[in-house]
Amino acid sequence: MIKLTNVTKTVRSGTEDLTILNQVSFNIPDGEFVAVTGASGSGKSTLLGLIAGLDAPSSGGIFIDEDEITAMSEDGLARIRSEKIGFIFQSFHLIPSLTAYENILIPMEILGLPNVAERAASLLDQVDLTNRGHHYPSELSGGEQQRIAIARAFANSPKILLADEPTGNLDTKNGQHIFDLMKDLHRQNDVTLILVTHDATLAAQAQRQIILTDGRVSSDDNGRQTREG
Amino acid sequence: MRFIFNLTRREIRSSWRRLLFFFLCIALGVGSVVALRSLIKNLTQVVGNDARALMTADFEVTSTNDFSPTDLSTIEGIIGRSAIVEARNETITTSSMARPVDPQNESLEFIDLKGVEPPFPLVGSFSLSTGDPFDFKLLENSGAVIAKILLEELKVRIGDRLKIGENEFEIRGTFDEEPGGTSGFRLGGRIFVEKKAFDNAGITQNKSRVRRRILYRTSDNPTELVKELRDALKGTTVQVNSYREQQENLSEQFERTENYLSLTGLLILVLGGVGVWNVARAFVEQKRKTIAILKCLGAGGTRIITVYLLQILVLGFVGSLFGVALAQAGLWVARMQFVDAMPAKMSYAVNIPTAWQGIILGVLISLLFSALPLLQIRTIKPKLLLRDENNENISKLDWVKWLFGLGSLAGLLGLAVWQAGSLKVGAFFLGGLAATGLVLYTSAAILTWLLRKLKSFSSFSIRQAVNSLYRPGNQTRIILLAVGLGAFVVITVQIMQTNLVREFDFSRNRRLPSMIFVDIQKSQIAELAQIIEQRTGEKPDETPTVRARISFVNGEPIDYQQRAVRQQQGQIGREFAITYRDRLEENETIVDGNWWAANQKNEIPEVSVETGMAETINILPGDSITFDISGRRVTARVANIRKIDVRNARTAFVFVFKPGALDKAPQSFAVTILKHVAATDRQRLQREILDKFPNVQIFDVADIIAAVNRLVNNFVIAISFVGSFVLLSGILILIGSVALTKSQRVYENAILKTLGAKRMTLATILFAEYGLLGLLAGLIATGFAVSLSYVVAKYLMRIDWEFDPLVALAGVFVTAFLVTLVGVAASFDVLFRKPLATLRSQ
Repeated sequence: MIKLTNVTKTVRSGTEDLTILNQVSFNIPDGEFVAVTGASGSGKSTLLGLIAGLDAPSSGGIFIDEDEITAMSEDGLARIRSEKIGFIFQSFHLIPSLTAYENILIPMEILGLPNVAERAASLLDQVDLTNRGHHYPSELSGGEQQRIAIARAFANSPKILLADEPTGNLDTKNGQHIFDLMKDLHRQNDVTLILVTHDATLAAQAQRQIILTDGRVSSDDNGRQTREG
Repeated sequence: MRFIFNLTRREIRSSWRRLLFFFLCIALGVGSVVALRSLIKNLTQVVGNDARALMTADFEVTSTNDFSPTDLSTIEGIIGRSAIVEARNETITTSSMARPVDPQNESLEFIDLKGVEPPFPLVGSFSLSTGDPFDFKLLENSGAVIAKILLEELKVRIGDRLKIGENEFEIRGTFDEEPGGTSGFRLGGRIFVEKKAFDNAGITQNKSRVRRRILYRTSDNPTELVKELRDALKGTTVQVNSYREQQENLSEQFERTENYLSLTGLLILVLGGVGVWNVARAFVEQKRKTIAILKCLGAGGTRIITVYLLQILVLGFVGSLFGVALAQAGLWVARMQFVDAMPAKMSYAVNIPTAWQGIILGVLISLLFSALPLLQIRTIKPKLLLRDENNENISKLDWVKWLFGLGSLAGLLGLAVWQAGSLKVGAFFLGGLAATGLVLYTSAAILTWLLRKLKSFSSFSIRQAVNSLYRPGNQTRIILLAVGLGAFVVITVQIMQTNLVREFDFSRNRRLPSMIFVDIQKSQIAELAQIIEQRTGEKPDETPTVRARISFVNGEPIDYQQRAVRQQQGQIGREFAITYRDRLEENETIVDGNWWAANQKNEIPEVSVETGMAETINILPGDSITFDISGRRVTARVANIRKIDVRNARTAFVFVFKPGALDKAPQSFAVTILKHVAATDRQRLQREILDKFPNVQIFDVADIIAAVNRLVNNFVIAISFVGSFVLLSGILILIGSVALTKSQRVYENAILKTLGAKRMTLATILFAEYGLLGLLAGLIATGFAVSLSYVVAKYLMRIDWEFDPLVALAGVFVTAFLVTLVGVAASFDVLFRKPLATLRSQ
């Protein structure tokens, strides 16, 4: 369960304060697939970053299960991310100095899991890149890089998967492929999936859609069933 | 832990190229420390490491006069009562001339003659060149064992006969190394003869510079015995030395040299540290994204810092190992360069404990200098993956950073103290370094500021080049500091060299004799002077000399029990050649008191003392000095203190008496000529004089000057060698800094190209930028080198200092050229990048 109560985020821009998120509150039950949409600058990515504990809100509370992450130290947040959260970025953010295979290993090694080699190999297989494991990110196409990023996000079997415009840097065909992959993994692993996207078609396939306008939740169709049922 | 080790391994695999400069900086620094320390350690090992073997005894009683019967009975009385003396023998040494008996062979050499008696040596061992142990029988019946080098110099072989004084000796063997190794600077090669024959040769009659020694071997520590003897012999010219004290002095001297040299090495290592700091800073900057990703994946800041710290440790360690290999290579180069100046049996291998010390130093310096940049990892937030923004909290007072900064400084001080072997010297080193760095840095800041003020250059390229020096994240001041420091050391050495060489350039001293003849007896002087005048056409200058030693100063004996006094024993306790005359020489001035009036009769003997000696024994006009002249005591009132301009000196007497008191004392004459005669004529004249007057000793000044020049040159080569290492560290930092700002330059060039700049324009900007940078570095370095060399020459070496515009100009332009060359070469490829690819990747 993810719970946000009156989350506000203000940043300093030049000499003025700029409110990116304003009194945002909602709950997301376990296993739900939520799409967050909105215009550019509406605060979607910031919202996702706050849920992942990548940044702290200016006020308000964010809870993951029973833990209030807004009260946690940097290392405490790192532990929560390691154990519970997988993150997929628009620009992949793979570590350039590691091979595809090693990029998948990293989260498991951080957590100190056993038998990481088999798990990494199996994840590579799931994203259909078994023969590309020894390649460096710079040697992979955008679509391949994003598939590796998805494999990495699933490596620790997180309860929550956060995806920030994962198809934004890909062509339509690759974009659809990535989206399908995420959806499949969501279903198979029963994870909570929060997808930030511009793409109305993709958003429409989610179980629930939250629309942000100027940092506020302007629409939340809580309880809507996914069209695929 | 597995995560830390695995990631460290993978990061090293991918980043080692980028950290190559880091690696090289450490290697160069460690290499310098290890090479310098090993060199001096190895040298210590060969040169008189073993004072006991060098003395060939446990203690000695020594004098430059014959031992008087009273002194002898005092000595024998005390020795007789002692239960620890096991054996004794006597030796006698002097310098003399040796020439082959064969009339066809015209060679002539200055030698160091030593008469020994069995058992010899009392302690230690003595082997001949053949490897056989020395046998005293070789010396019996006019035999001689000579230093191997003399065979070549005198063009003789074993079995040939040599004439020394009035006696002939048969060469029966040679040796490579004396007991205890070779010690100190000696003009002539050593020849061993029987002590009995030595006395018979007549060399010791009317002869100065003869040293007699009674050597003792003891079964126990002789310190108490030495003390007792010294007390009993107070006020006489007899000295008592124990090998333990000499060992102490020797070890102290070597240790001090070693520590000072290590500080030079540490300087290079600290410069390397600056390079490390620079690279680590840029490295963290480049790794920001990776660090943010790792944090996003759940790795804590401490774990990530540990990964990079481990990486630095590994690189520091491997770099240090490479440094040890570099040190070995450096030692081999030193062997090629200095083999003639170094003892024959010296080892050129890296000293193992020193190597370990170097490795520890290298790793510690890596840690100290990368700690602060690595700490920056803490402030990198994972949110930069969503929105790249600079860290906002950077201006906030960060106490952890301060704590680490202070810790690093304390660590550095610890290293300096460890290397210098003294808290004071270590603190001075660090303080001096900080002051120099600050001055260089401030000068760099002022000069670049001035340059900025002059921005109204008409040339676009130069304007752009000046702008480049201010680019955000520019390395201008760091480069000026590092390269400036390196060039500063090298240029200072060069300026000192020209001044030193000028100081010893005897063609500048028109009064420096070309030949000096000493120990001439009164009966010989007229004939000898006549021969010299006939052969050279110059009437020689004759000076009466009396040999004397200081017994008392103001009625007090010189107390050699005091260690500080004993350390100056060589200066105070030696035998002086003194003279008497009624006038001041042209090159002398009175600084205190008055010169005596000619013909003024006075019962009390008066003496004039040279300024340096007056300071050493702490006397003023009106004080008294008692001299021992062949056993007779003469007390003289100090009439004046006299300064000698040695650069314009024919003779330089420390003590000059007023005529009268010494007229009747046993004396010999010294004769000097100024005329420069061809080398073969000089040798022929020396040969002729020696055949006629075997007791006379001749100094060929050209030989002495050549020996001194060799010493100066070796000294200069050695310092330049070290200096070039400092410069190399500076250049490494330069290359590293260029590499750090390269991506920015690539981007700027891409934009300029898009806006229509030609490659030629961009190349001009590049040349102008590094040309300006080099010029600034050269100006700063030369400016400070000129100032420092002035201070060193004037106040430390007390030699004349002259500004040499050629060296200064060369300093500025060579530095500018080097910086331009390195800077342009390291970023030349930037000109050939296609702009589109660059702009798209941004």
